[in-house]
Amino acid sequence: MQKILDCIDAGSAYCPCHLAETGECIMCSQLQGRTFCDCANWKGVCIYHDFVSNRYRKREQRESRSCRILKRDEVSEGLVLFGIEVGKEMARELNAPGTYVFMRDQASPAYYDTPMSIMTVEETEGTIIAAVQVRGVKTKALGDLQEKVEIRGPYWNGLLGLKYIKGMRDSAALIIARGVGQAAVLPAARKLIAGGNKVKIILDAGRNSHNFTEAYFQDLGCEVALKPLLSGKALEMPFETASYIKETIIQEQIGLVVSGGSEKLHQKVAGLLLTLEDKPFLACSNDAKFCCGEGICGSCHTRVEDGSRIKTCKTQLNPFSLYERRAQV
Amino acid sequence: MRKVVIIGGGWAGCAAAVTAKKAGAEVIILEKTDLLLGLGNVGGIMRNNGRYTAAEEIIALGAPELIEITDVAARHQNIDFPGHRHASLYDVNLVEPRVRRLLNELGVEIRLETRAVDVKIKDGCIESILTAGDEWIGGDVFIETTGSTGPMGNCLRYGNGCSMCILRCPTFGPRVSISQRAGVPDILGRRADGSYGAMSGSCKLSKSSLEPELLRQLEAEGKLVLAVPPEDVNMGKLNIKVCQQYALKEFAENVVLLDTGYIKLMTSYYPLEKLRRIKGLENARYVDPYSGGKGNSIRYLSMAPRSNTMKVEDVPNLLCAGEKSGLFVGHTEAMATGSLAGHNSVRMALGMPLLELPRLLALGHLINFANEKLQDAEGRKDRYTFCGGKYFTIMQEEGLYTTDKEVIAKRVQDIGLKDIYRYKLI
Repeated sequence: MQKILDCIDAGSAYCPCHLAETGECIMCSQLQGRTFCDCANWKGVCIYHDFVSNRYRKREQRESRSCRILKRDEVSEGLVLFGIEVGKEMARELNAPGTYVFMRDQASPAYYDTPMSIMTVEETEGTIIAAVQVRGVKTKALGDLQEKVEIRGPYWNGLLGLKYIKGMRDSAALIIARGVGQAAVLPAARKLIAGGNKVKIILDAGRNSHNFTEAYFQDLGCEVALKPLLSGKALEMPFETASYIKETIIQEQIGLVVSGGSEKLHQKVAGLLLTLEDKPFLACSNDAKFCCGEGICGSCHTRVEDGSRIKTCKTQLNPFSLYERRAQV
Repeated sequence: MRKVVIIGGGWAGCAAAVTAKKAGAEVIILEKTDLLLGLGNVGGIMRNNGRYTAAEEIIALGAPELIEITDVAARHQNIDFPGHRHASLYDVNLVEPRVRRLLNELGVEIRLETRAVDVKIKDGCIESILTAGDEWIGGDVFIETTGSTGPMGNCLRYGNGCSMCILRCPTFGPRVSISQRAGVPDILGRRADGSYGAMSGSCKLSKSSLEPELLRQLEAEGKLVLAVPPEDVNMGKLNIKVCQQYALKEFAENVVLLDTGYIKLMTSYYPLEKLRRIKGLENARYVDPYSGGKGNSIRYLSMAPRSNTMKVEDVPNLLCAGEKSGLFVGHTEAMATGSLAGHNSVRMALGMPLLELPRLLALGHLINFANEKLQDAEGRKDRYTFCGGKYFTIMQEEGLYTTDKEVIAKRVQDIGLKDIYRYKLI
């Protein structure tokens, strides 16, 4: 029996998708080959109903299209911020925490598609800013782009624990981010502030020469502290930083911690929160290796507590279910 | 204090809450919508045929509260309509607030808009229930009264799609079978042709959409029978209905209307265009289900195997009642099974032997009989209610049917069960 999980695309314009056609739907038991409902998760729409009324076919899926690069800003060696004109409709759909698009050079084949988190969106202009850290084959091709870029989107599962970010009101949150992972959590700060929350930020530049999001966070009115989050070859969290985070959580009555960066960082943050008596909620950037973003290729599969495999490109999870076990190892 | 968690706040869940509370437990009801009573918010028929006997037995056993509410809120009492005698019709708009007040006064904790979605099992027992809001609610004993209706996917696969009924799945989320989540596969009801489920048997129309003179007549007499134009009579439709007690020829050749606060239209669905061809219904409009012109909810897709004490098989601390516990139809049947499950939840929590109502009572007879029928494929094609169909005939043959309150009270007294539900066990 497949598990009933929470799909980020459920109820969207792209649902039902390929997975419904192949009996692999993440949320619907009727579309997992069973013949009865078991709606443990629910997004307000019946996916089976939508599938039947669409004549047992998936809806039209996301396609790549060429977009103009408006601005190219190399903020640090190997770190480029791209301002891209994506159109007002796409911009509106990307204006939320956790959004990302796939980017590639027009000349490259589809397997060059690289997921990039959205840092900021200008809905009225129809533009976005995305940060590209040049590292491997795909990002090197992106780093050289000047005029046009192929964009596929919108995608929404760039953060796990989104419901905590969206649901938190008039409380206090702590955002911990390192390296290019800072880009992914900037929209989370924006959403939390809109929800009347006080937001405190701890940044670590990681491999970059400086914290390229610091000014953005300050503009939002967040209190920013700069601390080394992972250091040394083993990438351990310095004791002083861990103590600082703990004290902040207790003193500021932090209800939610958002971690932006690598799995290593999430694991350390989760481990630290687990030592607290009254542990806050946890959200984190989705650090799985995305290739198609559609639950097809399998590159983002991960295992949770009970050993079952999850397609993380589409599945919303409580980050503790991913990192609790690993943090304790 | 022993804690009893009831999943589902329909008539069965509320009846279970009353008897569990009276027996001394701490009781919490988890209800997914913003209203108690579930389908009871659009039903309304009590005391017709053998339900009269059953209602009086529930009172004599010591759980009169809910019957009293439906009696007090009755718009019409002692009315006859085709195939049914001495019915009482409660006002569906008045009963829910009264039940809520009663449960509050008894000290039952009611958690509305709280949808149960999963269970945590420890040593074979349910330890706690997970809500859609990510909260774990623990207890000593659990009673599942989530019913067997819907959700949307089932109503589509086995019916004509979501008809937007009172359960409002799109808004509050669908029911989840708790017993199945605990590892006990659901039993499924069938129709005469072998397909799964059955369609709810009535719709409700807005009163102001009925021709004024006919409305006056309906409100005075409680019922109204209007002839269907001969070209529109459809006998085949009787087979798909849940309510076999209303699957009579008269119900195909006529539309039977009852006054329950709304106008209860005794047919599973009726295309609006056709309905408006009936004299007096030219302006007809549905208020439940909103799409009553197209379909109705599908039921009996989620029943738990149980004993006659209402205990679910293979889960030591789970009981069930209402439609979850068999192919029952009606509020009285829900109250009958719910009261027993509620009382037994406290016995279970204390390690006492569970109560089984004897076949000498209509309640015990139905609970036993429906359970036997659930075991075989043919039996799963039928429905069991005190008020009609095969069971009412059996009830009469067994000499169980009577409207003599004294006879009923004496019967309960003679077998030593008078006021059993009133005893505080803790």
